[in-house]
Amino acid sequence: MTATPIHEPAAEPAPVDDDTSSSQPRRPQTWRSRLRGGRAGTSALVYAVLLVLAIMYIYPFLIQVATSFKTDPEAVSNPLALVPQVWSTAAYERLFLRSDFPIWFRNSVVVTLCVTAGRVFFCSLAGYALARLRFPGRGFVFAALVAVMAVPGVVLLIPRFLVVKQLGIYDTFAGMIIPLLADAAGVFIMKNYFESIPRSVEEAARIDGASTFRIYRSVVLPMARPALITLVILSFQGSWNELAHFIVSAESAELVTLTKGVAQLASGQLGQGSQFPLKLAAAVIMTIPVAVLFFVFQRRIMNSTAGAVKE
Amino acid sequence: MTAPARTTSTATRRPRRSGVRSGEAASGWLFITPVIVLLGLFLVLPVVMAAWVSLSDWTGRGSPFSDDVSFVGGQNYSDLLFGGGLATQDFGTALRNNAWYVVLVVPIQTALSLFLAVMVNRKILRGSSFFRTAFYFPSVTSSVAITVLFLFLFSATGAVNKALSALSVNGPNWFADPRGVVHLGLGAVGVDQAPSALAGSGFLGISAWQWLAGPSVAMCVLILMAVFTTSGTFMLLFLAALQHISDEVDEAALMDGTSNWQRFRYVTLPMLRPTLFTVMTLGLIGTWQVFDQIYTGTQGGPAKTTVTPAYLSYTASFQSQQWGRGAAIAFILFAIIVVMTILQRQAIRGRGGDAT
Amino acid sequence: MTRTNSSRRHRLAGPATIAAAVLALTACGGSGFDDPTPGATADPTTTEEPTSGEDPGLTGEISVLIGSSGDAETDAVSAAVAAWSEQTGVPAEVNVASDLNQQLSQGFAAGDPPDLFYVSTDNLAGWASNGSLLAYGDQLSNVDDFQPSLRENFTYDDQLFCAPKDFSTLALVINTDAWAGAGLGDDDVPTTWDELAAVAATLTTDGQVGLSFGPEYQRIGVFMAQAGGGLVSEDGTTAVADSAENVQALEFVQQLMSDGVVAYPSQIGAGWGGEAFGSGAAAMTIEGNWIIGALRNDFPDTSYQVVELPAGPAGQGTLQFTNCWGIAADSDSQDAARDLVEFLTSTEQQIEFATAFGVMPSVQSAADAFAEQFPEQAAFIASAQFAGGMPTAQGAVDVIADFNAQLEALASSSAQDILGSVQTNLQAALDAQG
Repeated sequence: MTATPIHEPAAEPAPVDDDTSSSQPRRPQTWRSRLRGGRAGTSALVYAVLLVLAIMYIYPFLIQVATSFKTDPEAVSNPLALVPQVWSTAAYERLFLRSDFPIWFRNSVVVTLCVTAGRVFFCSLAGYALARLRFPGRGFVFAALVAVMAVPGVVLLIPRFLVVKQLGIYDTFAGMIIPLLADAAGVFIMKNYFESIPRSVEEAARIDGASTFRIYRSVVLPMARPALITLVILSFQGSWNELAHFIVSAESAELVTLTKGVAQLASGQLGQGSQFPLKLAAAVIMTIPVAVLFFVFQRRIMNSTAGAVKE
Repeated sequence: MTAPARTTSTATRRPRRSGVRSGEAASGWLFITPVIVLLGLFLVLPVVMAAWVSLSDWTGRGSPFSDDVSFVGGQNYSDLLFGGGLATQDFGTALRNNAWYVVLVVPIQTALSLFLAVMVNRKILRGSSFFRTAFYFPSVTSSVAITVLFLFLFSATGAVNKALSALSVNGPNWFADPRGVVHLGLGAVGVDQAPSALAGSGFLGISAWQWLAGPSVAMCVLILMAVFTTSGTFMLLFLAALQHISDEVDEAALMDGTSNWQRFRYVTLPMLRPTLFTVMTLGLIGTWQVFDQIYTGTQGGPAKTTVTPAYLSYTASFQSQQWGRGAAIAFILFAIIVVMTILQRQAIRGRGGDAT
Repeated sequence: MTRTNSSRRHRLAGPATIAAAVLALTACGGSGFDDPTPGATADPTTTEEPTSGEDPGLTGEISVLIGSSGDAETDAVSAAVAAWSEQTGVPAEVNVASDLNQQLSQGFAAGDPPDLFYVSTDNLAGWASNGSLLAYGDQLSNVDDFQPSLRENFTYDDQLFCAPKDFSTLALVINTDAWAGAGLGDDDVPTTWDELAAVAATLTTDGQVGLSFGPEYQRIGVFMAQAGGGLVSEDGTTAVADSAENVQALEFVQQLMSDGVVAYPSQIGAGWGGEAFGSGAAAMTIEGNWIIGALRNDFPDTSYQVVELPAGPAGQGTLQFTNCWGIAADSDSQDAARDLVEFLTSTEQQIEFATAFGVMPSVQSAADAFAEQFPEQAAFIASAQFAGGMPTAQGAVDVIADFNAQLEALASSSAQDILGSVQTNLQAALDAQG
């Protein structure tokens, strides 16, 4: 579940700061190198420690990929090896040909795309309204949004099931997608970014006679691309990795998503025994889309830390 | 940011302004309505419904608002907190497990992410973005995928035990070991059974000895997993904060002749207080809600040592069909999170450095 | 200009998003892949039922949810249901649950449960009392054919709620290769606790533990029965969990564990007793009939023999498990479901299931045929004579789950304490149901 921060909305999103570098001239390098670099000895020590830690962080994923290509017995007998003695794609075959994995993948893709598109649309609209438009009750809405962000996700697990059932969208794609479109943190990200855009551009458009929606759509939104991309990334990650909501909002086998399916796999549903290559292959495939997204947008993801933390 | 041009042209533009203004108000409401509807339907309404269910005897069939369902007041809550039966024991066990989880995860992940941030912040040539990527990558993966990975790594014949055996250490059967680590430690110094003072029935149906059992070995794996997946995110928060600390401050401290450690402790750390607060708050909120890893990995076992209130709320409703009790557990958990957050805020503010 | 380009793109973003959302929502409906073949509902000549020649023109659609023990069971049930579907023209679909109880609970709460599903003795009381189940047992044409003890198990409030689908008992399964390899012969089959301990010790080697069974009452309870104990009194109103006999039984198991001749499957790298046995991690296991099918499917090279469990201080004792076919009260196709149940519990079909995944038929008419066809399961049938069932009181299943959680730590706990807590909880549950 995505945890939403309750005290961070006031912080500005870092992309603005990083993209427009500071106007101060750079200080001479000497002080800085003395502050940061230090002597060669400690540098090497720091490097070594970091390297060991980095290996500890990366190695599990390497093992994961390697094991997915091992045979069942070898996975048990030789768990640390990064190169299988006998390369075997049996796990992937079983996954794609003899299980519902393709259905899970399709469902995850559909849900993620819809949730991402929907969140971008609704949150940017609402963020713009809160940032720029004056309407009665604006302050109240703002306060309500802050309050709503304080509710921990776990409390909503069962109640959402009840609401989805009452609305009659239980066990449908609608029931899986629509509740996830509600995202107060996304509204705040967009609002903060819109507030940082100079008003002069909008004023110019207004003088030209553009309607509010026109201003929003043609003038402001294109300038908000960094925040939009942030929102896309966060929504994608959040909905792709969501589990609890998919457990409670659907029950039929055709609506199982990757997270729910792999969780079922892990509790040993596709067969008896600990078939590690199979489970790890599923985990690998599941991780690939978010990994790709991560590596493509690395810099932007790691820069936009304020106000948008995924748990 | 306000363009000076606006004030000078007010006079000529007034009639048009009012038209724009009312259009603006309408647009404003139009723009914000979808989000309001969504949040109202799927955040506010669920909470209200759950509150009703927790105060009723709904058995799970039909609508909770139908005529068959009656109001039973605080009975679900009192069964949980004061009943003394299996419901109370399970709730006490869940609270104990989650409390140990929180107590261990939050400090460790805060300290580790701060440590990583400080390390990576040094201007090591070309390496820092690689390290940032390496440490942050586990945070983008799904908790389900990571749990599956850890189930493999920490299985009885898994990679971790293999590595330990290379050091001639016999690793335990991690996920199947229900022994609490504190009990294990006490057992190593000869305290095997509960001392009579601690053995009687204690708080929430669990004896004091049980409360002190510490996280089980299986829970320790989950703790490791939590630190593994969140330290990257918080490292980035600390990095951003560290980079904002002005160099002048550091230079002033350096000129005063302080050592690295002193500079860190008395200059950097206090300036990191807002971020520390953020990280710990997010950590608290997240650790009290741990669910995905339990559902995927251990389902509460071994011996109920990884049951958490969030998971208990789910199983009570969806497996035992005690919907009222499940909802009550969720609300008690909500209260716990709110109280802890407020307490933490007071603690930070008490030290005189609240920047929010 | 770049701005007009991007604004053009964003101009499409709005409508495109809406279009995407609409498309996605129309993709909803939950009926994805397995479109059941539409049946001819009004033609009486297509409905041929070998065992129940009633109800021409059955209508509706049946969804079946089962908790399968493995591929063998899934395939057998799917084949049987498909055969019935062809004969009657009523579309039917079988789904395997990953967590049967959770999915059924969710289904009942949502008002949209499957039509036909497994119900165990644990759940009967709960679901019957809140109205989720249809009490159709007395309307079956073969109602008198069911074993009386099984009919008992599924009677609640004086109504037979569902038809028992099969039953199993627990017996001792021995790896004959390991047996012979340890120099043991037919005479050495244990008939008392001491002999069991001795044999397990002989069979325990470096890579193999003598005996393995799951850490749950559903296995360890056999020892309690053999010692003369149990969980609930005869009349079902008093809990007798903390009796001296039960303590004796648990302490016997503790002794075996501390001697190293007994281990739980999780401790030897297996998910359940059958896997521990099949993979060779354990030389003996205590399991039920379902192990036959599982071994045949997953471990075909392991040769085994099934013998009755040894007698304890109070004689022989074992546990018996049974499930029934539950029909949801909310189902739209109750008649068709009932017909399907009659088909699935017919004599021939039960023998088919027995062949496929090794369970014992619940109808008396099939008992002799079963004994003839499956001599290797003779021990299971013989054990039925001294088998006891699981407690069926509402709330008992939670108490047993808690008991099982404590049994996982049996090696380092006090048997008296464990049974004491079970006693308290069980008595509370029995009192609560009045």
